[in-house]
Order: sequence, then C-alpha cells, then structure tokens
Amino acid sequence: MLRKIASLGALISVLAGGMAAAEDYPRTIRLGDVGFGFGTPYGVSLQAVADAKGFIAEEFAGTGVQLEWTYFTGTGPAINEAFANKQLDFASYGAVPNIVGKAAGLDTVILASTQGTNIFAVARPDAGIRTLADLKGKKVALQKATIIHWAALEALKKAGVEPGDFTLVDLKNADQLAAITAGSVDAVFGADFLLPLEEKGVAKVIFSSARDDADASGFGGFLVSRDFRDAYPEATQKVVDGYVHAAEWIADPANRDEVFQIWSRAGTPVPLIARSNADTDFKQAFNPRLDGEFQKRYRSALDFSVAQKLVRRAPDLTEWADPSFLDNALKQKGRDALWPERRGNAS
Amino acid sequence: MSVVETLGGAASGLPASPLVRRMGWRPSRAVLATAAPLALLGLWQAVSTLGLVAPQILPAPSRVAQTFLELAADGELLAAARISAWRLSVGLALGATLGFAFGILLGASRRAEEWLGPSFRAIAAVPALGWIPLLILLVGIDEMLKIIILTKACFVPMAIATRDAWRAVPRGYAELGRTLGLSRRAQFTRITLPSMTPMVFSGLRLASGQAFVSLVTCEMLAATEGIGYLMVWGRTLFQMDMVIVGMIVVGASGIALDQLLRLTERRIRARMGEHV
Repeated sequence: MLRKIASLGALISVLAGGMAAAEDYPRTIRLGDVGFGFGTPYGVSLQAVADAKGFIAEEFAGTGVQLEWTYFTGTGPAINEAFANKQLDFASYGAVPNIVGKAAGLDTVILASTQGTNIFAVARPDAGIRTLADLKGKKVALQKATIIHWAALEALKKAGVEPGDFTLVDLKNADQLAAITAGSVDAVFGADFLLPLEEKGVAKVIFSSARDDADASGFGGFLVSRDFRDAYPEATQKVVDGYVHAAEWIADPANRDEVFQIWSRAGTPVPLIARSNADTDFKQAFNPRLDGEFQKRYRSALDFSVAQKLVRRAPDLTEWADPSFLDNALKQKGRDALWPERRGNAS
Repeated sequence: MSVVETLGGAASGLPASPLVRRMGWRPSRAVLATAAPLALLGLWQAVSTLGLVAPQILPAPSRVAQTFLELAADGELLAAARISAWRLSVGLALGATLGFAFGILLGASRRAEEWLGPSFRAIAAVPALGWIPLLILLVGIDEMLKIIILTKACFVPMAIATRDAWRAVPRGYAELGRTLGLSRRAQFTRITLPSMTPMVFSGLRLASGQAFVSLVTCEMLAATEGIGYLMVWGRTLFQMDMVIVGMIVVGASGIALDQLLRLTERRIRARMGEHV
C-alpha cells in the first residue's frame, strides 16, 4: 500500500514537473514539410536544410525539447489533415494548399515566406510546341489546386494564353509522366520530376520559371498553429531563428553543393537537382520576408483560389501573417541588410 | 411452375406474388434496412454536436446535406454521376457478355479449361487496379483505360459464375432433353440456360459490385471526371463534406444497381418459367 502511495506521489511530481516545463517549452515540437522519394521521404526545401544542418535543434540545445520532422508525400492535403488532427505544430508548404486549409477553418499563422519548387513545362517533341504561346488549342496536364496550377496560369497569361484557350487535364505526377509518354496530352506543367523526360527523348522543356519568369516560381509559407504560437511564444521565436539561420546559410553560394547533397536524400540524383536549380538565385528564392513582394504573391494566389472555386471565401492575409517573430530574427547579425524590404508593387 | 424455379427456390414467378410481397413483409424489411444507417446518422450528429472531431475532418450532417444540394444545383454532381454511370454500363455490358461466353467455353470444353484455365486464374488473381500502371502507358488516360479496367473487373466473376453454373446443371436434365427429342439449341435455351440463371445472376451481381469498386478507385487514381474524381477533388480542397457526398452517392447507387439486377433476374426467371 505504502509503495503504491509512494509511486503515485512520484507520478504526480513527474506530471507536475512536466507541466511546469510546459510553460516555457513543449516536450516535442513537430515540424512538417512536403516530402519526396520512396521509403523514408525527405524534403527539398529550406526546412529540410534546417533539419539536416541542425539549425533549429541548436536553438533548443540544453532545453530537452525534441524535434520531430515529418515529410509528407501526400503533399498539401496531407499537411492540412495533419494540422486538423493536431499532429503538427509547424509546416512549410505551397501557398495554394495552405490557403485551402486556412479557408476550411485551420487556425494557422504565417511566420515566414518560403520558396516552392521551380516550375517547368515540357511538351511532346512532335506536337509543334516551342513556347508557351503554342499551347493554344492543346491538351495540357498539371495537378490542379497546387502552386504549380497557379504558376502555370500566371505564366500562360503572360504568354497570351487564357484558360479557355487550352484543355486542362488534372493529373498527379506519376500519371503526368505516363500521359505524356503515351501521347494522351501534349504538354505538362510540373516540377523537376519532369526533367528526366527530356533525357529519354519523350518531351522537351519549353519553360523554366527560374530561367524565363521568376515571378511564376512556386512559393509558400512557413506556418505555425495559432494554439502553439499563443502557448509557446518563446519556442516559436527559437524555431523562427533557426529557420532564418537556414535561409542565411542557403543564401551563401559557397554552400550550394552541400544543399544539393542534402536534397538528394529525397531520391533525386545531385546532377538533376543541380540542373533544376541552375538558374535559381537561392538568396532571392529563400527570402523569408513577409514584405510587399510576399503580399503581392499571396494576394495573387488568393485571387486565383477564389476564381478557381478552390475556396468558399478568401482568408484575410493581414490577420493571417504574423511578421513579429521574423522581424526579431532578422534584427540579429545584420540579416536585415541581407534581405532588404521589397515593396512588391513595382511590376 | 418450372424446374428452374424449384431449383432456385427463392422466388416464385407467379404474377400475384410480387404484389403480395409488397403488401406483406416489404415494409418491415425497409425498416430493418434503414435502422443501421439511421443509428450511424445519429452517432455522426452526436459526434459533431459534441465537437469530438474537428469539423474539417468530420463535417456535420447538415453541412454535408447543404453541399449535396449545392453540388446538385450547379450540375456538378449530375455530370459526375453521368460519366461514372456511362463507364459502369459499358464495362458491365462488355465484361458480362465476354465473361458469360468465356465461362460457357470453360464449362463446356475440357480442353479449353486445360489450355486457358490456368492463364485465366493468373489474370484473375491480379486485381484490376494492378493493371493501371501498365495500361496507362499502353492506352493513355482516356476513357479506354476505364473501360478496360471495368471490363476486366466484370469479366472474371462472370466467367467463374457461368462456368460453375454450367457444371452444376444436373446430368438428368440433359437426358430429359434428349428423351423429349429436343434439338441441341432447344436443349440449351429451354433447359440449360434456365437452370443456370440463378447462379449466373449472382455472378452478375458480384461483377457489378466489383465494377463499382474498380470504378471508384480507378476514378480516384487516374481520371479527371466522375464520382471518384469528385471525392479526390473534395480531399484536395479539404472539403470532407464533398468526399462524404461522393461516398453517399456511391453507396446509394450500389444499392440501386443491385436491386435493379435482382428485379431483372426475377423478371427473366418468371418469363423462362412460362416457357419451359
């Protein structure tokens, strides 16, 4: 009996201790990112670099906080579902799925801007397509309700091709590869997974956002659940500090090769990653600022989401983005000068 | 009364009986059939009222009903249902016809069974969906892909049921035919076929069930229209209400199709009964 009471007491003190610690930091922080590859997926973004280099972990050195990294192969929808199930505290993913999640009632907060993928368009060599303008009257595959969908419409609009001018076929990545190989579609918009098609002679690249139109590159946000931010502002600051540290490291051209090595954990060979990013300026691409340029791009994605009926109503961007943690992080170590504020209304 | 109906046992082909059934035990059966869905609906309502699950994951029944009306009003649901129904009809018609013919071949000819039986069983063992990656490269992502998948899904259960039905025809019946001096053709249409009907129809119902499962999965994996695609789209838009609407439509259509086949079977058996 006595032993029972003693062990109960021990249990209570452990619980109480745990709760006291929880006031400053949670025991674990769960971070999600878009993942690629078979077996254990890995990310190809800033967050994957922060994970591999331990930039966020070192902020929590000595606190006993555990970091849990998950790379979701189901991309955007899977991350939204994990947020809804309260299985995630932080995540970076494309603007379109996070707009869809926010509009459906997920209480997230945007902490920083993040880069999405480079967008490529490939066409069948015998379809007589040289530029985006030639896509009029053609069958074009892409995955709808993704940032690639947004980017494709943006790039096509600039090339004088309106949505009514071509047939859009909604296909997932693997099906896109099969469809263009089988000749079911004339062109595909996607990410660097399309590049091997050119080597095989199945298709040729007719558009690369990094090379032809940086404004039509993918983008997204680094988000936290509002509950977490409100409960652990200090921990949130540390995570953002580590995130910005990663952005600073990635912006240094000397680290490019190591970045490619880290991303190759997702299964894409280094030469292909290098080719995919040949025209990418990492300092600009991973600019974390929530400035005018960020607002301009997000507003465009919001308008797109409403026009495409992806959301019932658009979330309010000013309420959604919280730059306070980012601004604190940027004030340190002269990072303010690294990424000057962009107005975003120039173009 | 025919031999067949005594064999089949379940339904009688007398003209008065459907009416009697409708008046007699049908209502209680309807009550029994709706009890489980109503209990589920009650549980669902309770879970969402108490907020046990996030509304993004399990929306309230009223939200789903509203989405159903919205999708029905703007024609999206009807368009999706129409294309799915078309695929299902073509797949079922082709698969069932081919399966029936192949089943008779396997049943009637020992040599066909020896030569083709093992290959057929190997093909049957690979689920329709296992064919998608190969077929998509061969025929692309258009309608042909869905038709082939559905035809295959119907072909297998139909062929098996027909072969077994053929073999289950009692030898005595054939002797009866010969004794009566019927031609081979008449023996087939008047004796063999009627006695095969119940098993063939249960094969057809099994085939339609298989076709339904394959249709939805196939549309979820590689399609740009249809009820299955509507459900995937609902997930993409993080609107589970749309997914649940799709599930309800699929479930209701499945019941409707099964009932339609049962009714057809009853009619056909009644007709055959009159002739034999």
